[in-house]
Formats: sequence, C-alpha cells, structure tokens
Amino acid sequence: MQKGYVRKPLLAIFSILLLLWIFIPVYWIIKTSFAPEVEVWSMGIPKNPTLQNFKDIFVVPRGAMAEVAGTYLSISPTIVTPLINTLFVAGIAVGLTMLVSTIAAYNLSRFSYKGKNLISCYILFAYVFPPFILMVPMTIILSNVGMFDKLTGLAVVHLAYTVPFATFMLRGYFLGIPRELEEVAMVDGCSRLQALLKIVLPLAAPGLAAVAIFSFVLSWGDVIFSTVLLNTTENYTLPIHIGFFLWGGEIVDPGRLAATAILAGMMPAVLYLGIQKFVRMGLVAGAVKG
Amino acid sequence: MVNVKKIVSNWTYIFPAMTVLTLILIVPLLFTLWMSFHRMPIGHPPTFTGLSNFVRIFRSPIFYVSLKNTFVYAFPAVAIKAIIGLGVALLLNQKFGGRGILRGLSILPWAIPPFIACVLFWFVYDYRGVGNFILSTLGLKPIHWLGYHYAMPSIILVNIWRGWPFFYLGFLAGLQAIPAELHESAEIDGASSSQRLLFITLPLLKPVFLIVCGLSLMWTMGDFVIPKMMTGGGPVDATLTIPMATYKIAFLMGLNYPLASAYSVSILPIFAILIYFTVKQLE
Repeated sequence: MQKGYVRKPLLAIFSILLLLWIFIPVYWIIKTSFAPEVEVWSMGIPKNPTLQNFKDIFVVPRGAMAEVAGTYLSISPTIVTPLINTLFVAGIAVGLTMLVSTIAAYNLSRFSYKGKNLISCYILFAYVFPPFILMVPMTIILSNVGMFDKLTGLAVVHLAYTVPFATFMLRGYFLGIPRELEEVAMVDGCSRLQALLKIVLPLAAPGLAAVAIFSFVLSWGDVIFSTVLLNTTENYTLPIHIGFFLWGGEIVDPGRLAATAILAGMMPAVLYLGIQKFVRMGLVAGAVKG
Repeated sequence: MVNVKKIVSNWTYIFPAMTVLTLILIVPLLFTLWMSFHRMPIGHPPTFTGLSNFVRIFRSPIFYVSLKNTFVYAFPAVAIKAIIGLGVALLLNQKFGGRGILRGLSILPWAIPPFIACVLFWFVYDYRGVGNFILSTLGLKPIHWLGYHYAMPSIILVNIWRGWPFFYLGFLAGLQAIPAELHESAEIDGASSSQRLLFITLPLLKPVFLIVCGLSLMWTMGDFVIPKMMTGGGPVDATLTIPMATYKIAFLMGLNYPLASAYSVSILPIFAILIYFTVKQLE
C-alpha cells in the first residue's frame, strides 16, 4: 500500500519529463510552421494559425534567400525538385535493395554450406562500417565511371547503408517461417526459386514491407553522399535544400523552413511509427541475437 | 553432380549481395587506403610517397584537435544516451496506464531523420529560440549555443536527443527477455527492488549493453550529419571531428584527396577494434 504512494507520483513525474524531453523541439517546429510571419519567434501557439507557409514552399518565393546573400542565388527555391529527387533516389535504392537482399537473406536463413559464417561476418561488417570513410573514394570512383552528380549513382551508393541492414532483418524474418512449407512444395515439384517466390515471399509480406520502409528511410535521411556526390541545383535532395535556409548561422525564413522540415520529416516518421512492431523486431534481429 | 549444382545455387543467391557490397564498400575502402600512401597532384599521374601523408598529419595540430573532438563528441554522447535509454526502458517496463502511448512516442526521435533533428535544434539554438527561453525561465543568462564555447556540448545534445531511443529499444528488448520467475523468487527471498535491479536486471542486460554501446560508439564517432548540419565543424575548430576534417580537406579547403584519405585511415584502427569487438558480440 505504502509502496503505491511513492510509485505512482514517481511514474507520473518521469513520464512527464520524458514527454517534455521528446516534445520541446518538436512542438517548436510545428508551431512555427503554422505561424504567420510576425509570430514566428513568439513562444506560444500562434494566434492566427495559417497554412501559408506550406503553400509558399511549393511556389516560387519572394526571394528571401537572395536578399540575405546579397546576390541572386541559383538555388532551387521550391521544395518540388528536391522532393521529387529524394523520392526518386529512395525509390531506386529500395527497389535494388529488396531485389538483392531478399535472395541473400533467403540464402543465409535456409542453406548451410562452407563459408556461410564468413559471409555473415562480411555482411555484419558492412552493417557496422562507418560510411564517412567512403566519402572521398566514392567521389573519385563515381567521377571515373561517369556517375558523379547523377541521382542513379547516389541511389546505388545508398545500397551501402541499406543492403546489410535489410539482409539481416529479412534473415531474421525468414528464420521465423517454418521451412516444412517449402519442403512440401518442393516435393510436389516446385523448384527452390518457385518455393521462395510462391510460398515464402507471400508469408513474409509484412516483413518485406517493413524492410522496404527502413531502407526508404535510410536513403531519405542520407546527408553524407548527397553532400559530396551531387553538384547541380536540379539534382539537389532535401537535406541539401534545407541547408540553404541557414545563412551564416542565421535562420532565413523560419516559417518556410519549419514547413519544409515537417514535410521532409513527416514521411519517414509516420512510416516508422506505422511499423513500430518491426522496429523492435529489427533491433532484436539485428542487435540482439539473430 | 548434385553437389556442384547445390554449390552453384547457394552462390547465385548470395552473389548479387556480395558483389554490391564489394563494389561499394571494399573497393572504395582499399582505394582510400591506397590513396593515403600516394600523392595525386592535378594533371599528373599519382606517385607513391610512402608515409609522407601520415607524417604530415601527425605533425599537424589540427589532426590532434579533430581526434580529441571525435572522442569528446562520442564518449559523453554514448554514455548519456545509454543512461537515458536505460532509465526510459526501466520506466516503460513497469505496468501503468498510458505506457503503450509512451512506448510509441519514445521512438519518435529515432524515427525522425538526423538532418531533420538538426533543423529542430536550429530552432532550439537560435538566440530567439527555445533554448534561451528555457534558460531565462530558469533565471539564467542567454548564451550563444553554437558559439565557440558551447558548440560542442550543444551538438552532443542533438546527438543524444536523436540517438537515445536506440538504447531504449535495445534495453527494453533485453528487459523483456528476463524471465519473471527470477524476480519473483528473488522477491520471495527478501531482495529489495534496488537489490533486484543491481544483482539481477543489470547483469542480465550486459550482453545487450555491450552490443548497443559498441554500435552506437562507432556510429557516433563516424557521425557526419550533425556536425555538418549544425556547425560545419566550426566555430574555428570547436566541433571539427575526424569525419568533418576529412570532408573539409577533401572538398572545401585543399581538395587534397590523399591527405583526406590519410585522415580517415588514421582512425581506422580504432574502428577496426570496435568493429571486431561488436561483430563478435553480435554473432
């Protein structure tokens, strides 16, 4: 009885602290995105909330960025091009990742052969490898094969993030599907590939969707390779586009910056929250025992 | 015959993934190693220069500053993320109303892409922003969050805010794997809740703890996004970590690819140890 008196207020206090910790930065950007220009820096909820900022980022702006820099800058002024570019890159990266990782994960979950451990180690190594080391050599290699400043080139480089992660998560998922189902199908005359395509993949559909979403988010959030591999305005992705809202450490046009950030951050965040169950599973498969 | 067929089919399934990873990880890694021992003047063929790039960086004070910054950035960030992650995992492992919602919301920072987390903190650290608002509410003087003296703690805070849910998720999974009987029998034997935490829960979390810390330490030491988006390595060299130094030398200042390669290669031994240790834990 006495225990409950201490426990409940403590739980409440820690819960509130947790919520404040998570939400203070998030609240600020949400309220700014709905604020009219005069209210962008006031603390409270905007008195005259408006959707103007969200409309503004899609049409050519008044040139606020050009004013600050002194001259007109040939940067992409609306969100449209970077948004399409980012979607395009993430789309290709996800497509290729799924193609490559599904069969690799199937191999790791079903076959046993000499050298399999070595391959697992190799993929794990790729998973933990810090990508900044690839920054310099990747730039030179892509220049030499004519892929520098190409969105497809960027998408291929993103496989360095996505393939190891997707392979490990899918392997965990495939291990959870009983192999008897395929064995029966193979006795009935299915080939290995048919068994994979017709039996395992439909059963693994939720897992495949989750892995596709993770890969999408990884590609969407990439800053390293977009920064060094893209060079022309038409090819800029969202992280680079957003960088132009900061000039000399000063935020230019906070309302539109907040709206851009919400649009750019919401898609991955919503997708992520939608597959929460798999976030845990992926972590368990990836970080605890696979 | 059957055996050969089996071997071939094994390798066809894994071959595309291995090719991709070799081309985009191993080849560039070897190339950067190769570059670090060469000089590549523009318009001339590369020449082998032995250790001269390394001699140059080991004599340069900037290298030691960026090495120090990398550790000053990564170690406190990982330690605090681990503490917050453990605290939240212990909290949300209790049964109480609203736990489900809190569990869902707790992965929100992790679900936000790092570059968006940086934008959130641009607003926090603006002189008109919420950071100084909190300071003035607490009766303190406003500060230059991204000025020379506070830049490093400020960007560490961004890293902590975005990264702690990874620890929370790992620890919660670890906590849920601890059988309830252990706690029940300890309670019957008269162990207090703090004793149970100290002698049952924490020792059993150790494997998860090692893995999660190892992974996070590598990712934090190699973090490029937050220094790049928050400060660009500045003011002066206050937040110049090894990844930022590599970037600046290769793309902003000297366009000196071999020297930049030597920077990232010089930190490779530390990563190699961490990778070896973590991969071993993961297996």
